[in-house]
Amino acid sequence: MEDFHFSPFPSLCWAPLKLKTLARDTGLHYGYSPMLALLRPYRGWILALLVLGLVSNAASLILPSLIGQGINLFTSHEGLPDFLLAEFLTTTMVVGLLSSLQNLVQAYTSEKVARDLRGELSEKVSRQSYTFILERDPARLLTNFTSDIDNVKLFVSQVISGLLSSAVVLVGASILLVRLNWKLGLAVLTIVPLIAVTFALVLRRVRPLFKQATAALDGLNKVIEKSIVGAALVRVLNSQEQENAKFSVANRNARDVRLTIVKNFSLMIPVVVFLSNAGSLIILLLGGRYVLDGFMTLGDLAAFNSYLALLIFPIFVVGFMSNLIAQAQTSYGRVREVLDSPEPEPVQLVSEPIEGRVEVCDVHFSYGEKEVLKGITLELKPGSRNAVVGPTAAGKSQLLMVMSGLLPPSSGTVRYDERYKPSQVARQIATVFQESALFRGTLGENIAFSPRADTEAWEKAMETAELADFVKKLPDGLDTLVSERGTTLSGGQKQRVTLARALLMEPKVLLLDDFTARLDPTTEARVRKNLVTNYPEMTILAVTQRIATILDFDQIALMMEGRILAQGTHQELLSTSPEYAQIYDSQKSTHQYE
Amino acid sequence: MNELLAPERRTLIWAGGAILLTSALNLGAPAVIAHAIDGPLTRGDYRGVLEHGALLLLMYLVALVTQNFQTLRMGSVGQRVLFRLRGQVFEKLSQLPVAFFDRHQTGDLISRINNDTDKVNQFFSQSLMQFVGSFATMLGAAVFLLGLNPKLGMATLAPAVVMLILTRLLSPWIKRRNAVSLKTTGELSSEVNESLANFKVIVAFERRDFFRQSFSEINATNTEQAMKAGVANGILAPIYTFCSQLGQLVVLGLGLSMVSRGQFSLGLLIGYFVYVNRFYDPMRQLAALWASFQAAGAAYERIAEVLEDSSSLPVLDRDSVTSEVPKGRLEFRDVGFGYRPGQSVLSDVDFCLEVGKTYAFVGPTGGGKTTTASLMARLYDPVTGAIFLDGRDLRSYSGQERSDKIGFILQEPYLFGETVGDNVESLMELEGLFPEGLATPIEGLSLGQRQVVAFLRAVSRNPDLLILDEATANIDTVTEGILSEILARLPSTTTRVVIAHRLNTIENADAIFFVNAGRVQLAGSMEQAVCLLRHESRSS
Repeated sequence: MEDFHFSPFPSLCWAPLKLKTLARDTGLHYGYSPMLALLRPYRGWILALLVLGLVSNAASLILPSLIGQGINLFTSHEGLPDFLLAEFLTTTMVVGLLSSLQNLVQAYTSEKVARDLRGELSEKVSRQSYTFILERDPARLLTNFTSDIDNVKLFVSQVISGLLSSAVVLVGASILLVRLNWKLGLAVLTIVPLIAVTFALVLRRVRPLFKQATAALDGLNKVIEKSIVGAALVRVLNSQEQENAKFSVANRNARDVRLTIVKNFSLMIPVVVFLSNAGSLIILLLGGRYVLDGFMTLGDLAAFNSYLALLIFPIFVVGFMSNLIAQAQTSYGRVREVLDSPEPEPVQLVSEPIEGRVEVCDVHFSYGEKEVLKGITLELKPGSRNAVVGPTAAGKSQLLMVMSGLLPPSSGTVRYDERYKPSQVARQIATVFQESALFRGTLGENIAFSPRADTEAWEKAMETAELADFVKKLPDGLDTLVSERGTTLSGGQKQRVTLARALLMEPKVLLLDDFTARLDPTTEARVRKNLVTNYPEMTILAVTQRIATILDFDQIALMMEGRILAQGTHQELLSTSPEYAQIYDSQKSTHQYE
Repeated sequence: MNELLAPERRTLIWAGGAILLTSALNLGAPAVIAHAIDGPLTRGDYRGVLEHGALLLLMYLVALVTQNFQTLRMGSVGQRVLFRLRGQVFEKLSQLPVAFFDRHQTGDLISRINNDTDKVNQFFSQSLMQFVGSFATMLGAAVFLLGLNPKLGMATLAPAVVMLILTRLLSPWIKRRNAVSLKTTGELSSEVNESLANFKVIVAFERRDFFRQSFSEINATNTEQAMKAGVANGILAPIYTFCSQLGQLVVLGLGLSMVSRGQFSLGLLIGYFVYVNRFYDPMRQLAALWASFQAAGAAYERIAEVLEDSSSLPVLDRDSVTSEVPKGRLEFRDVGFGYRPGQSVLSDVDFCLEVGKTYAFVGPTGGGKTTTASLMARLYDPVTGAIFLDGRDLRSYSGQERSDKIGFILQEPYLFGETVGDNVESLMELEGLFPEGLATPIEGLSLGQRQVVAFLRAVSRNPDLLILDEATANIDTVTEGILSEILARLPSTTTRVVIAHRLNTIENADAIFFVNAGRVQLAGSMEQAVCLLRHESRSS
């Protein structure tokens, strides 16, 4: 009886102590709290999950006692009462029902957590700047959305209930052991901290490896994506072997990191098993001594053995879970990094239409260490048509991206109507990029970015981009499906689609990056004329190679090596800028046809 | 699947042996303890107890080694199989024709190579080991159950038969659920991949709302399917538990009645329960493992879809050589082509390109110029008719031969590696365009710069037939002049095909083809070509 009062305390202290040390040594300490914060909104469901798990486990523990009862009743009354069978059957059915319910709740809760986390991540990404995506690396973000969140999901569905059930059984079995014989109980329980230390040591070594493993996965994603995007070229150059070699390196990296993880776990699991087996040895040797010395009965010794079996199972569960925990922690850390990244200040979009005046004032921009724009100053009057010409790599595209707000200038300003930043008037500026990016979906969806576009605006945009006739001829019209690398549209058609997309926004300022490069001269001339007729008030800035297409523009800027060398109308530049005249001469031979 | 495992056969046998040994040691240890309690301990012989303890320690130590061995081997097998599987899928991807990529989304393919192979891996590295272990324990217990009392044994095992039947019935359904879920995961991956790749457009057009909306739709679908798969994967476990408890009930009821009839002793019955648990406990574990097996199967089918895709362009025998054809001639004979069945992009195309000449292909956008060029480089095969190079069907050239003979500069320049130097060995007189020369990183290059690199890469390979598809569209005219000089330096036997809208690039052509509405016609002169361009109605 003395033991009875004394014994529960050490055992109660053991378990939390163990969890605490485990937490500190493995870094769960850090990983857990945000992870638990993540779960807070679902505490109702998680509670249901825990209760269901505990109740069905507890109910299944009734069965052995019913069997024992049956055997006892049988020996004393020489018969098996029906009520016992009924009780047995009821318990079985309740257990089945509860665990089925647990299965449902588990699938629901874990998927819900994953869905919400993915949703949150997509919201976050959607608010981010273009430069953030570039710096963060799309391949890595893709892993965040897929494997990383899957690992968190696995944590919710497997770890939480498994860990709690294990903790309860662990504490319960410890209490029983210590109550039975506190000395032997404590001796057996020494294996628990030893096991905890083993976990801690291995997990500490494995955690950075999991980080490497996910990074290796990012690397794989990148190689795969590149080789798919460049598929046509790989075939033209017959460079499959080089691509395979690159993939092999990434693939081997991924394998080697994983093999190191396997090595660590293949050390940990047997050691943990050995330690728990050592418990049986302690019972036999120390318990045997007690029995021989008359401190303990043989029956108690047998009971000790069966309780130890109860104790071991949850330790194993924790062991298997440690893998999942380490993985989920790493993954959640990666997702959290994105979620916690600073985002651009939300800007109040200016609702009243701007006039369309643009001032670029001493803009500098660097790509890495290389300065691409070296002090650009440019003024566009409302409704004017302007052009930037210049050699390849002069920085023309970067200038457009700075003006549209995609890239932040390292110094200098871009102002619309003398007071607005590009982001404030984002809906009133439209850009047509050199590469025509199409999204999977219908042609109509690819054009109608603007939710407020009406029929008239549609027709005007389609006519201007010379798409109306083309779409009419398509059997499915605007519902024609286009895809990522689709073959439905030719290069020139894609370019016109992106122009229509821009025009449908009814922008006050239109930025065109060499958009006529893939149009034949006739179509190009028509599009040019349409723009003047249909959108007379729009301010236009066109980057182009062909001077012939901009002869009548209000202002032409000649750009070279990140600087504007000369500015003026075509006639003015011909007399003031020898470089301009030279470029113009080099194109002259073709003018007779254009 | 077999070829993936074949190199691992030895490892698997060794690991299997280790698993059996570990299981035997684990089953044997309780017997040693029981023997120690029944024997020396009851007799009061502590020395005997110590001897048993020493034996036990030895067994545990051996188990430590065997278990380490089995975990390491089986885990490594999983990783190596995964390594080979990923390599196979990737190699296959690099052999598939361009048309395959027109049909599949990048994100979905990434999902297949990474996510789906990982599902297969999970089965190999974690589940298979438990699978074998559980199965071994189960079989051992079954032998004991039937051996101790065949009649009671059979009755005990009856619920297991029910389980087996249910498993067989439910497995296809579980697999289907997983397949659907993996498919929507692939779609989700595609959506994310596409949006991230085109993020510039999303930002510039304030399409963020659209991205959020379309993502939340696919996210919801994906979640719904994943929940269904999760439910399916969990359905067996409660059934197995139910059956295992039914097994205990059978032993209790039937066993006691047998005891009352004197056919069985009570002590034996208590022992019998131990073996019932030894049989049904691993079986319950198998329930969870079986679901992971089904998921791996569904994943493997998605991978196999890629591995077994037979749409690759086969290399024909060389029989079709017609010898009287002058060397280097490229000939289109009655070529018809469409990207999809029923679609006609080119029809009845007939023309001949002679060695060393320069040909220009002009025409309105969407007329079929790029398609014609793609057929010349055999990115696709004609649907009807055939293309001959040197009198040999283009389809009879190996990939290496073809890439030696034909250079194709595509509309969208794509560069390999990290730096310009990974793509070309020399920048010739264009060094000035690249601030760090060959060491200039690819990221941050303008479209024009990338076109220059792609141009130099193709030219430096010195092909017999060089196709330029709008290859210099975004390059300034001065640089373009340098490029035409480089082009002019190519040997006189090089045939050049130029597709361009800028007429200066084609004014030196020996012949001009006008491509419109799927037809290729020879224009007599530059003037006629321009006239055709001006007056032929655009069919696009």
